[in-house]
Amino acid sequence: MSESAWALGAAAPHSATVEARRGRSPKLDQWICFGSIPFFYTLFGLIFVLLARIMPPPSPTASIADVLAYMQAPNLALGVALLSLTLGLASLSSGVIVVQMKRMEGVSPALPYAYLAALAVAGVPGCLFPGLVFALGCYRPGYTPQIQQMLYDLGFLSFVGSLGVFVIQYLVFAIAIFLDRRTIFPKWLGYLTIWALVTELVAVPIWITRTGPFAWDGLLSFYLGTIIFVGWEFCMCVCLYRAIKNQPLEELIGRGTAHG
Amino acid sequence: MGSANPAAIAQRSAHSAPRESIEPASRHCPGQGSMWFFVIGDLWIFSCYFACYIHDRARHPEPFLQGQQLLSQGIGVLNTVILLTSSLFVALCVQATRAREIVTASRFLALGFACGAGFMLVKGGEWYLKIHAGFPESTEPFFVYYFMFTGLHVVHVALGLLILALLWRELRGTKEPRVEFAETSATYWHMVDLLWIAIFALLYLVR
Repeated sequence: MSESAWALGAAAPHSATVEARRGRSPKLDQWICFGSIPFFYTLFGLIFVLLARIMPPPSPTASIADVLAYMQAPNLALGVALLSLTLGLASLSSGVIVVQMKRMEGVSPALPYAYLAALAVAGVPGCLFPGLVFALGCYRPGYTPQIQQMLYDLGFLSFVGSLGVFVIQYLVFAIAIFLDRRTIFPKWLGYLTIWALVTELVAVPIWITRTGPFAWDGLLSFYLGTIIFVGWEFCMCVCLYRAIKNQPLEELIGRGTAHG
Repeated sequence: MGSANPAAIAQRSAHSAPRESIEPASRHCPGQGSMWFFVIGDLWIFSCYFACYIHDRARHPEPFLQGQQLLSQGIGVLNTVILLTSSLFVALCVQATRAREIVTASRFLALGFACGAGFMLVKGGEWYLKIHAGFPESTEPFFVYYFMFTGLHVVHVALGLLILALLWRELRGTKEPRVEFAETSATYWHMVDLLWIAIFALLYLVR
């Protein structure tokens, strides 16, 4: 709305008018990346909750028979195959977040890059690796129950235990929000990010406990962190939407000409 | 509270004006609203942790009682006194900032910071002794809680020290230090204090 109004304005720079006449929004790239977020998370939920049933995680103390039933469920491999195809989509959302972070003022450019790298590192043990381990379990029917149980343990320890890796990503993001003088993202999102950080730290004891709230299926190490993460992701989407929407078009036009 | 409230409007419009023009209004909310959002949310998260602890403890009281007996109440009391003292210094720092006595304010701030750092040192020493002495396996459920709660709290203290350091920069590095900044930092610091009191009571005292 504001874009078209601006494009019609008399003071509009020439290149923007050309863009508008072609019927293209200068923010189209960002909107496409943004649109990938709900798409990705819908797929993610479908794969993790319905197909592979990695979430909510089954118990670390499950009997061998339950472990075998889990590892040989027919939908598991299908879910993992889909996951390997869709995980790359997450890079689109990271891309647009970095574009917005680079607009911040008073924030070192190292922070958006650190954010991007931290997310890329965390996504492997937190998402892809457990899937691969589970898929391996159902690849060859001859694996002994002990091997299956080890793969089951490794998959879930990697899935929940890697939450700590996301801590740096959250920290970098929160610091950038607090330092930012342009308020690209609201300060409260920074505080929300600190909650997410703190609740993910609680996943650390899953390596030593098998029962109770600190096990990998525990109330504190898994459920509370996941609830806060879902809330964070939702607020992040809303704030990102506003940040893209409020970005002045002049910035983009300047960037467009600078890059040819 | 309502938008028609003249005091609230005066406060909002006096945002950049000198503080003296504001009456010592009892309705004034110290610090940024977003910090209060954080404090309330953080307290909510910790209440979840505490509820979980109490629930677990009620189900299996034995390991918890045994574990609690291995904690030194003396160290707990020492840390409580250190943290409460640091809160007092930070509160005095806010008062001095409001009165524009920047040198006094930064002196109190340094004392508050030193106490906070002292708290972390004592906590580190306590952990070292605990890990060195070891604990029976039967008390493991309690000690997982102990290390997680105190560990999360120390993360909060470390973040608080970072915020106090930023406040120091604000006080010493700017011509017109923002009172709101001091209030926001103090709000966070008092929350850290409050959390510790709850953790101290739950882990060390309730038996």
